[in-house]
Amino acid sequence: MKKTILIADDSESVREVVSFTLINAGYNVLVGVDGEDAMKFLDGKEIHLVITDLHMPKKDGIALIKEIRGKAEYQYVPILFLTTESQAAKKDEAKAAGATGWIVKPFVPEKLISTIEKVIR
Amino acid sequence: MDRFKAVFFEEATTLINELERVSLLLHNNPSDSSITEQIFRIMHTLKGNSTMFGFYRIGDFTHHFETLYDYIREGKMSVTDNVLNITFASVDHLRVLLTDVELENSVHKINHENLIRGLIEVLNGTSGEESIKNNSSDHKIENKVSDSPTYWVKFVPEKGLVRKGTNVLFLLDDLSQLGATYTVSNTERLPDFKKLDPAEIYLSWEIYVSGSVTENSILDVFMFVEEDCELEIRKISETNLLDQDGFSTIARDVSLSIDDKILKFGGLVKKSSSKSRIEEVRNKMEKANERSIITSKDNSISSIRVASEKLDELMSLVSELVTTQARLNLVSEQIASSELISISENIEKITRQLRDNTFSICLIPIENLLVRFQRLVRDLSTQLNKDVVFVSEGADTELDKNIIENLADPLMHIFRNSLDHGIESGEERVKKGKPAQGKILLKAFYSGNSVIIQIRDDGKGIDPEMIRQKAISKGLITADQNLDRRQIFDLIFLPGFSTAEKVTEVSGRGVGMDVVKRQITEIRGEVEVESVLNEGTTINIKLPLTLSIIDGLLVKINATHFVIPLGNVDKCFEANHEEFVDKINDLIILDGEQVPFIYLRDEFDIKENCPQLHQVVVVKQDDRRVALSVDTIIGEYQAVLKPLGRLYKSVDVISGATILGNGEVALVVDPNRIIKEYIFNQIHNEVLQ
Repeated sequence: MKKTILIADDSESVREVVSFTLINAGYNVLVGVDGEDAMKFLDGKEIHLVITDLHMPKKDGIALIKEIRGKAEYQYVPILFLTTESQAAKKDEAKAAGATGWIVKPFVPEKLISTIEKVIR
Repeated sequence: MDRFKAVFFEEATTLINELERVSLLLHNNPSDSSITEQIFRIMHTLKGNSTMFGFYRIGDFTHHFETLYDYIREGKMSVTDNVLNITFASVDHLRVLLTDVELENSVHKINHENLIRGLIEVLNGTSGEESIKNNSSDHKIENKVSDSPTYWVKFVPEKGLVRKGTNVLFLLDDLSQLGATYTVSNTERLPDFKKLDPAEIYLSWEIYVSGSVTENSILDVFMFVEEDCELEIRKISETNLLDQDGFSTIARDVSLSIDDKILKFGGLVKKSSSKSRIEEVRNKMEKANERSIITSKDNSISSIRVASEKLDELMSLVSELVTTQARLNLVSEQIASSELISISENIEKITRQLRDNTFSICLIPIENLLVRFQRLVRDLSTQLNKDVVFVSEGADTELDKNIIENLADPLMHIFRNSLDHGIESGEERVKKGKPAQGKILLKAFYSGNSVIIQIRDDGKGIDPEMIRQKAISKGLITADQNLDRRQIFDLIFLPGFSTAEKVTEVSGRGVGMDVVKRQITEIRGEVEVESVLNEGTTINIKLPLTLSIIDGLLVKINATHFVIPLGNVDKCFEANHEEFVDKINDLIILDGEQVPFIYLRDEFDIKENCPQLHQVVVVKQDDRRVALSVDTIIGEYQAVLKPLGRLYKSVDVISGATILGNGEVALVVDPNRIIKEYIFNQIHNEVLQ
């Protein structure tokens, strides 16, 4: 069965590239334009992985991670966040909020898939 | 992939525009650290995105640029004129890079190299030691050691690790991918079954890995969990111990510490724990932390980008809907079924809301244009060696995007004129007792159904007498012609009129104010000039809010419907047929005033069914009034403008057509053209006489 991955990012190009890569790798992809938008997908359906940006309008990545962890049905879902090397401080915060791991931007598709495979398979 | 590239370009364009806007802010406040921070962030995003899409030249360029602003935000450098100049040059160059990513054009390429050299020079000027070479080479490649060393890994996860979405088995799996493994699990922490929480991890592991493994490759496996576990890694042998006899017996012996085991295995090489590495990461993070203290407030509003064709399509669909709605109204009235009427009324309400919403979607604030003007003012004032400040008011005033697009050119021209001819040089200004710094103000505001844009400078102004003389010398008016102040200023907009005494590089490239006027009239706007000598010049532009739907007055001549834009309608009268026929001077007296009239029946060559009593619609444009004769006035009508086909291009008194509820076509009259035509005819007649 195809695994479902939810992406939350306010950058259209990141969304497009990530979803393109994931769809090609055989995943189902759901896309939210910010944290609030992404939350609408977390309505009980099965989601195997969440990939979120940290800087987003409305609801940022940290808040999204916390909210997902607060939902009983998603408390164990792996969450990866997108980060840049310059955001090291945010990494701690995101980990503390319950994130599983991170993906450093910019990334090449192979790296994205190999990182994802660290947490789901 | 091309699809994404298009998105990348769109996003990059937005980023570069934003960069330009912010850079202009920096120009005004060179010491504002939140601005440098913003520039850094934009560069950072641009760098990341372009590298991701394989545009390495953009990536390389932005990398240098980013370094520059990194230095600035760290206080290693300050924002000098040099920095600003190179910033603006880089903004321009980035735009070039988007169109010529591979720098196939040699001029671009030279420019690219010069700019990078310039950036490096600026950087080296202050701190040379940290080179701007790609410093991402901190992933050391460890020396490959002989055959296959054996590592011992102790992994004690935090009990709650599962709650962070980590599957511990994957970690063990990944480890076994590295080479041959032997795993010993430790059940010490396992509680009594009743106390066992299935969501916690009680087990811990000691894993022996042998293969072409390095400490880093092991650490990479635990990358995400380093801080959520106790992790110890030791190289216990340069050779593969797993194959050795008796290995598993020693490995499984829980009573032995690892040191004892190593002794038993017969060789210790090196002890190291992940601690040092964690320490290192911590230090890095702390450093980064200090840097990112000045995070500026992100004031972006949540929005989505939509292709403008999609909006145009939506707009045209809504227009269709409005037309169809008018038809539905008509039909439901004819059928006179109360049920149908109530449905139709409901739909009408929704249609109106939908229309208004769609309109507002297509409106964008004038602010979108301002960056260009700020830039223009900055560049031109430097070029002309004048000190000029640009101020805007009402930048949030919204206009239809199509209008905004068409407004850029004429406004640019007006700005150029102001800077070049309007504002005097510093000394001249001081002599006149004005502040040395000139000022250009752009003010936008709503006025009824229109938007007014004023561009005001405090320059030398225009002398009406000079305009008059010029117009006479160019044969545009005769010396004995009596013109009021307003008419004199309007002469500026005549083709072939240019007040500039010399043609400069900045303005006066043969594009006169007549072009400005034409461009503004094309978007149904009006423009006028007002000027006071030595105090400055104001250009007023009046624009409709939208282009696609207009409020009109529906009138009828014989069987043909016409729509006259309501904004132009001044007054309506009634007059007898006789008043229009056989007049020599084409003037009609209305309200005791002589008003020139155009007998539309003649204009459109309609002869049948001429009524005795005519309706007269007085239209107004630029303070000129002309009366139009029609048969009947039906009433106000909201007209969805449809362009006329190519074949009707030459019929310029008609600006478009609209479809009425009953499916008939009504022609939309362009009062501006009609008035022009009238003036033309008048002049023509005078010549004939």
